Amino acid sequence: MKKQGNIFICMSGLILAGALMPVILSQYHLYILTEIIIFSLFAVSYNLLLGYAGLLSFGHALFFGLSGFATALAIIHFPGLTLLSTVLIGLAASIIAGFVIGALLLRHKGSYFALLTLAFSALFYAVAVKWYSVTGGDNGLNIVRPDLNLGFASISVSGLAHFYYLTLIVVGATIIFCWYFTQTAMGKTVLLMRDNEKRMQFLGYNTNFARLILFTFTGALAGLAGSFYALHFEFVSHMAVSINMTTVVLLMTFVGGTKKFWGPILGVFVYIIFQNYLSDLTDRWALIMGFIFVFMVLFVPGGLSEVIVKIQQRLFGKRNDNGVKYIASEEGNL
Amino acid sequence: MSDYFHVRDIHKDFSGMKVLTGVDFKVRKNERHAVIGPNGAGKTTLFNIMSGDLKPSSGIILYKGKDVSGKPPHILNRSGLSRSFQITNVFQQLSVFDNILSGVRSRYGLRYHFFKRPDRDHHLIEKVEALVAEVGLTDVKDQPASSLSYGQQRALEIGVTLSTEPELILLDEPTAGMTHEETVQAIKLIDKVTSGRTLIIIEHDMDVVFSLADTISVLYHGTILVSDSPEKVSNDNRVKDAYLGEG
Ligand SMILES: Nc1ncnc2c1ncn2[C@@H]1O[C@H](COP(=O)(O)OP(=O)(O)O)[C@@H](O)[C@H]1O
Ligand SMILES: [Mg+2]
Repeated sequence: MKKQGNIFICMSGLILAGALMPVILSQYHLYILTEIIIFSLFAVSYNLLLGYAGLLSFGHALFFGLSGFATALAIIHFPGLTLLSTVLIGLAASIIAGFVIGALLLRHKGSYFALLTLAFSALFYAVAVKWYSVTGGDNGLNIVRPDLNLGFASISVSGLAHFYYLTLIVVGATIIFCWYFTQTAMGKTVLLMRDNEKRMQFLGYNTNFARLILFTFTGALAGLAGSFYALHFEFVSHMAVSINMTTVVLLMTFVGGTKKFWGPILGVFVYIIFQNYLSDLTDRWALIMGFIFVFMVLFVPGGLSEVIVKIQQRLFGKRNDNGVKYIASEEGNL
Repeated sequence: MSDYFHVRDIHKDFSGMKVLTGVDFKVRKNERHAVIGPNGAGKTTLFNIMSGDLKPSSGIILYKGKDVSGKPPHILNRSGLSRSFQITNVFQQLSVFDNILSGVRSRYGLRYHFFKRPDRDHHLIEKVEALVAEVGLTDVKDQPASSLSYGQQRALEIGVTLSTEPELILLDEPTAGMTHEETVQAIKLIDKVTSGRTLIIIEHDMDVVFSLADTISVLYHGTILVSDSPEKVSNDNRVKDAYLGEG
């Protein structure tokens, strides 16, 4: 109960802080913060697969980019559409792709699953590169954000502050729902399947079905992030569906840590801020990021969130014999 | 209802190795039915087939008048059949409470819900508490399964098996690794918690088997030697020769 109260205070604080950001931050930093929020959803969705379900996917960018393209194409080819309709079109595309690909991958786990996702990702990437007339090939697609139509009023989100607020509300609320999801029947089912899938089957769970639903759900979440990515940069190209983009989300998730819900969000913060900082300093930033990743995997496999939890335990003397609790245990989630 | 559960001419071979060579027996509703037989006789394999874990090479299984051979475990569970494992097979990282909850919520249809939280459902919580108490684990209900003693783990294994409120219960050596005294206690518990339901149990302790079971099926070399009342089985010459004679 007390914990619930704490979460509430934390949330309220975050929402208040989020609302004040356009006043506090420069345009440049607000731009980066918007990017961070969008990638946070992408990374959280990735971790629902990796950390919660134990599924290593190399194809997650497929949904991100597909939805980004669908939103961009909707804007280009149907000029009258409102912003939320174009987002919904992106979402629909990623849900359909998630369901179809998920149905094909359903029975595979472990390295087969990883390789098959990689194959699908390569397929989508090839299409994005070659199908020049639709995807713009190497040039990508430039778009202009349409207005947000709320029925009673039409609001322009061409300005950064307005778009930031929209992102904060829609993407932020989705991230909060993802946290809630980990507490729901389906969220718990996913965790238990990782722990002991066989026993779940003998308790009446159709684990293949559950995996398909989860895969589709995380694809849809990545899709929502991808639509906002396209809207934020007012641009989308084959970069968004590339293996590179999957690597980025994988790095973010790993750097932050897969064992806590908020780990990947922390990872996104660190990754994007670091990347911006480093890319100002040197052209070799990608190389340095690579080294950091190798270092993290070798020496801090639990990610930054694990480091923080350990420090917390030292400081507040909260003894926990199992060390850092895994997400499977009841309290470890926040 | 003699055809409540009917195993008919089940064969199973693993890439050429014949483990079951025509298994036949019937279980009546509300019966306590024991399956005995030496190690490696194929008892667990038979359970794996009956619970949907393995498909038989041939033969059928009639459950409530329907052929269920080859049906997946989750479908069988939903039709009221639940099994335990010879080697404890629970959620090691979860508390006793959450272990039981995983089955209870499945029984009440809360498997994939995106909005409802099972741990906030008072009806489910009451059911879980009651079952935890029944298997005698109330004192340790918030402890992770991995921290339990061996006996407690075995009790939890039974609790998880019962958590979907099955009408037909398959227990695979629930007392494996226990002393005779512990076994007697465990069987008392099993007798209590499965009353009013159908029980098929694999058990080694002969005293216990003869006091508990209404019917005993003896599995030997992949087939059922005899399936009858304890008195008849203990007087059967083939059984004496093949199995009891050794011990
Ligand atoms: N999945 C399997 N693959 C190959 N052989 C198996 C498999 N399961 C069981 N066996 C073999 O079948 C025989 C019977 O095993 P089991 O059913 O566990 O016997 P019991 O439970 O009566 O001790 C053993 O020889 C065992 O090695
Ligand atoms: Mg066995």
